[in-house]
Amino acid sequence: MASVYIPVQNSEEEVRVALDQLPRDASDILDILKAEQAPLDLWLIIAREYFKQGKIDQFRQILEEGSSPEIDDYYADVRYERIAILNALGAYYSYLGKIETKQREKEEHFILATQYYNKASRIDMHEPSTWVGKGQLLLAKGEVEQASAAFKIVLDGDRDNVPALLGQACVEFNRGRYSDSLELYKRALQVYPDCPAPVRLGIGLCRYKLGQFEKARQAFERVLQANPENVEALVALAIMDLRTNEAAGIRKGMVKMQRAFEIYPYCAMALNYLANHFFFTGQHFLVEQLTETALAVTNHGPTKSHSYYNLARSYHSKGDYDKAGVYYMASVKEVNKPHEFVFPYYGLGQVQLKLGDFRSALSNFEKVLEVYPDNCETLKALAHIYVQLGQTDKGQDFIRKATKIDPRDAQAFLELGELLILSDTGSALDAFKTARTLFKKGGQDVPIELLNNIGVLQFERGEFELAQQTFKEALGDGIWLFLINGGNKSSNDIATSTLQFKDMQLFHKLESTGHHIDLPWDKVTVLFNLARLLEQLNDSGTASILYRLILFRFPDYIDAYLRLAAIAKARNNILLSIELVHDALKVNEKCPNALSMLGDLELKNDDWVKAKETLRAASDATDGKDSYATLALGNWNYFAAVRNEKRNPKLEATHLEKAKELYTRVLIQHSANLYAANGAGVVLAEKGHFDVSKDIFTQVQEAASGSVFVQMPDVWINLAHVYFAQGNFSLAVKMYQNCLRKFFYNTDSQILLYLARTHYEAEQWQDCIKTLLRAIHLAPSNYTLRFDAGVAMQKFSASTLQKAKRTADEVRATVAELQNAVRVFSQLSAASNLHIHGFDEKKIDTHVGYCNHLLSAAKVHLEAAEREEQQVRQRQELARQVALAEEARRKAEEQRKFQMERRKQEDELKRVQQQEEHFKRVKEQWKSSSHSRRRERTPEEEEGGTGEKRRKKGGKRRKKDKHSKSHYDNEEGEADMMNEPEMEDEDVDNYIEPQTMGNDDAEGNAQDLLAAAGLEDSDAEDDMAAPSSNIARRRQALSESDDDEPIMRQSSPIRENSADMELSDGEIREPKTNGDDGSD
Amino acid sequence: MKLAGIKSVENAHDDSIWAATWLPSTASRPPLLLTGSLDETVRMWRSDDLVLERTNTGHCLGVASVAAHPLGSIAASSSLDSFVRVFDVDSNATIATLEAPPSEVWQMRFDPKGAVLAVAGGGSASVKLWDTNTWELVATLSIPRPEGSKPTDKSGSKKFVLSVAWSPDGKRLACGSMDGTISVFDVQRGKFLHHLEGHYMPVRSLVYSPYDPRLLFTASDDTNVHMYDAEGKALVGNMSGHASWVLCVDVSPDGAAIATGSSDKTVRLWDLAMRASVQTMSNHTDQVWGVAFRPDGRGGRLASVSDDKSVSLYDYS
Repeated sequence: MASVYIPVQNSEEEVRVALDQLPRDASDILDILKAEQAPLDLWLIIAREYFKQGKIDQFRQILEEGSSPEIDDYYADVRYERIAILNALGAYYSYLGKIETKQREKEEHFILATQYYNKASRIDMHEPSTWVGKGQLLLAKGEVEQASAAFKIVLDGDRDNVPALLGQACVEFNRGRYSDSLELYKRALQVYPDCPAPVRLGIGLCRYKLGQFEKARQAFERVLQANPENVEALVALAIMDLRTNEAAGIRKGMVKMQRAFEIYPYCAMALNYLANHFFFTGQHFLVEQLTETALAVTNHGPTKSHSYYNLARSYHSKGDYDKAGVYYMASVKEVNKPHEFVFPYYGLGQVQLKLGDFRSALSNFEKVLEVYPDNCETLKALAHIYVQLGQTDKGQDFIRKATKIDPRDAQAFLELGELLILSDTGSALDAFKTARTLFKKGGQDVPIELLNNIGVLQFERGEFELAQQTFKEALGDGIWLFLINGGNKSSNDIATSTLQFKDMQLFHKLESTGHHIDLPWDKVTVLFNLARLLEQLNDSGTASILYRLILFRFPDYIDAYLRLAAIAKARNNILLSIELVHDALKVNEKCPNALSMLGDLELKNDDWVKAKETLRAASDATDGKDSYATLALGNWNYFAAVRNEKRNPKLEATHLEKAKELYTRVLIQHSANLYAANGAGVVLAEKGHFDVSKDIFTQVQEAASGSVFVQMPDVWINLAHVYFAQGNFSLAVKMYQNCLRKFFYNTDSQILLYLARTHYEAEQWQDCIKTLLRAIHLAPSNYTLRFDAGVAMQKFSASTLQKAKRTADEVRATVAELQNAVRVFSQLSAASNLHIHGFDEKKIDTHVGYCNHLLSAAKVHLEAAEREEQQVRQRQELARQVALAEEARRKAEEQRKFQMERRKQEDELKRVQQQEEHFKRVKEQWKSSSHSRRRERTPEEEEGGTGEKRRKKGGKRRKKDKHSKSHYDNEEGEADMMNEPEMEDEDVDNYIEPQTMGNDDAEGNAQDLLAAAGLEDSDAEDDMAAPSSNIARRRQALSESDDDEPIMRQSSPIRENSADMELSDGEIREPKTNGDDGSD
Repeated sequence: MKLAGIKSVENAHDDSIWAATWLPSTASRPPLLLTGSLDETVRMWRSDDLVLERTNTGHCLGVASVAAHPLGSIAASSSLDSFVRVFDVDSNATIATLEAPPSEVWQMRFDPKGAVLAVAGGGSASVKLWDTNTWELVATLSIPRPEGSKPTDKSGSKKFVLSVAWSPDGKRLACGSMDGTISVFDVQRGKFLHHLEGHYMPVRSLVYSPYDPRLLFTASDDTNVHMYDAEGKALVGNMSGHASWVLCVDVSPDGAAIATGSSDKTVRLWDLAMRASVQTMSNHTDQVWGVAFRPDGRGGRLASVSDDKSVSLYDYS
């Protein structure tokens, strides 16, 4: 062992101090040193030895003594050694400061170090080692630029100063200029080939950073050759092994890492990596221990950040989000710029997202996005957050970007689809389909929820066949296939079971025959949707079995009960329907859907008071937030207002006001609620604001088109009612007809009644009667329709008889129609009952009487008309005969003339022949003078021509005469007809008296007396609503039509209900598919 | 089995066609298709070209039902004014005019032997039976009033009878009513036997299987066709598929299929072995009120009539 020899002052002797036997108390040595005034370099050597032996206090004691003012005085001329001592102290405190974790102590150490270096500088400004020390201090303080300046000063003096070279290399390394750094390390190595291992470590790190991994590896291995226990090199090599990302490499890396850990258990880097490894192997306990150690031993920001990150990750994966959040936060705090280490931001964002702190999560994910602008996961997370914050558009932008960046990310398409569901079902469907294709291409199972969503969207768009395929694909194989196809196998059980809505026997039987009835929970929704679709496809039988299958396994599935109830209701089996709803209520007595449906059913059963209570309960069950219950209550009030035949104006106004209030309340909660808007429109129309209500109805009508789930015939009818009330009959007719065709397969007799009423108002009697006959044919037991038909026939007849011009045919038709009316009325008088049909025998008898009066009058008219017709016919016949006679005369004349002519011609011919013969004879005699003969002939021919012409003219004149004569006939006829109305008016007056008397008897109503124009109006008041005043009539017309509305209205809730259920499906499907992949 | 369109006559009537039946062939002529319409006429068509043989007038308020005597020489038509006109097919001579006020007239059917004409009596809650020799009313089969119902009950204490059907042996008669119940009678004893339940909406048409006197097919507004064991009071089958009311049903002469017409504008053919709809014809543009298989002759024929004023003829094989 080496020894130091302290020369004894004033002698040749020396004190030998064995370095490995330094006294524990440094004062002993110090006394010697001071006493012997030993050279300062000995002080330094001894102090260094203490340091090497870890005796820091002694080391510091000696050096502090060695730099005390006395020493300065005493050794004033020994400059280098003094500087060396000061530098040693400076380096010591730099180191302390560097490893100190507490900020204040750190500062103090650095201040001390600075003081020592400054003192050294005061002794000699130019001493390079001082500058090197200062450089190191600055490096430790993180002041890289100033450190660089310090090293530069040294290197300017001596470009081969190894410590300065190393320092500068370190500076360059920190600046990220790795190649410069590498150059400096290399030079240091050239200058001083025996450099300690760290130099090669530096080279290795530079090469590593430069991406020259092989050379880096060589450098690290050289370090390890020199010193097999060099932890940094081991760690570096281990990291490189781990980075290979191959199982073998990772195993090798972990072995090295472990060795590094065994050699030096406090290397933070190794600890972090080990923790990382154990995180992936799931040994969270080890992770925590390792990272906690790492945190205890390092002060290096980025490393600590890693450690915190590891810790946070561990907690995150264990689901301890609060702790994870704290550690992520700590990790983030250690990171200066997100660019250096972005993972904790991501983790923090995820945890905050999980904990519902969307704003903070948003900012963290945005930081991640700054670093990795194309990271799909981040984009998806951001999209999700924006949606949660209600900024759907932004959310869509992000998820779209994600799908563009990675068009093979099925998950992203799935999420895009989910975002689009509410706004754009078409695009949503496309996105879902892409996702499905991607899943299939990737060989993955397509998630059931995805298929379900596709199916629902196809369903909504009316692509029923496709939807069915999709649902079946989602369901895969199972007992349901047997049930769906069961109908085809003519299995009696299944066939008959379709009607027993509560029958579970089927399933028990199937089980006993060895069928395994299994229904995985994740397929329930799909099965429900499929059943719903089958309903839409009119296969309610199979649908009913599927709903029951759901209930067989999941007896608490309320929606299935409700759909069964809805099917029963559609088949008009109200009692069964109510029973099924009660089953649903057994599961949850406050289920608002079930209560609403129950209320609706009770209303259908005419149980008004009960219905109101039930609807109230439904409304209360949701604190009035359920629009359906509120709406139903609004409807209830509305019906109550217009229900009674004996109107109580006060009550009516109160009910209407209440209805309006309820509709408005719904509209405030959901401004887009079509049903509430429709209701508000009805109330407005009821109050006479037709223009406003028309606007509302039109808008609702537009909004209601497009989805199979929204079927609103009511609004069409209401719109038609408004047109009707405004007197626009042709539009009203069109609207009613369209509505009938579009929504009711032309089967709704009520709308036919509206239509008939419109025709009635428009005085299109035949259309009115035909329409009513159709309605009777559809609803044979509705005697009111027959009564109305009778009234229409009567009205038609009366109006024909009042017409100024009518033919015998018209009158005949009138008579036939009157006979029909009489028959209809008399049948009614036998069959009907006031309580049931709202009209009694007396009233009918009045009608029969009136019709018979009309009939007898009509018979008179008919006779008159027939007589007239007869006369006309006779006259025509006469005229015809005259014409014939004339014709005959003319013909005879012609004949005579013709014959005369012919005779003349013949005579002439004879004469000519005679003359010719004579001429011949003369010619033979004379043989000249032919001119005279010609002159004689032509005038004769001319005469014949004109004669013919004249005859033609004569004929024409005769024709004209005939025409004027027949014209005159017409005038006569017209005159006859002109006379008639007067007569008829009298007749009408005559009929009226007995009628009004009859009315007096029946009702004693003065107003009816005024209905002088005809009895039919006063009666129509009851059934078809047509009182004399025009305004009142319109008003009544509307209210009458509303009177009928309960039927329609009651039907609308079903539809809404089904829509509701769809919604609830939606709710089911949402939580399932909202994968917060962030947390994975 | 399948249907193939042979011929369609547009505007076969001037208005909606509500009824159709086949007149069996006689020695002197082939089978004829008889149709009745809202235009108040009854028309006869000769297949397969659907040539109009004759137009019978005289009805008022729309012809709602037509019935053919099994011998083919006599037919009956009825209209909404509740008159039944019985006439000689070849001469169009009126044989009798029947009415039984206040009973209305809806569907009519001759019994398989042709001795009795059964008429659904609407609000009278009964089926009227007329002797075809004397044209006298021989019996009224009334549906008993359900127990416990009040006469003023709005839902109608009476069963409004819409449709009738004879069992192939002529011993049973079933009628369908507005409330969906089906009543079965023993004709010989003139006695009500029991109700068949399952429908809760009007049953506008029903027909017995030609071979099984127990098997009854019923068409209802609830969009379903039911198969009942009419003796055992049991529902043995349910066929759903129509989107709207099923207005009419007829069974093929071979008993293997039934055809239905519906407000959803379609005619459907159902295979009874599979109990499933095997074909849907969508050639009509409005409600299909009548379907009728031709009872005899070579090659199966099915006719359908509709509110769209057209008559269609299909080959059934």
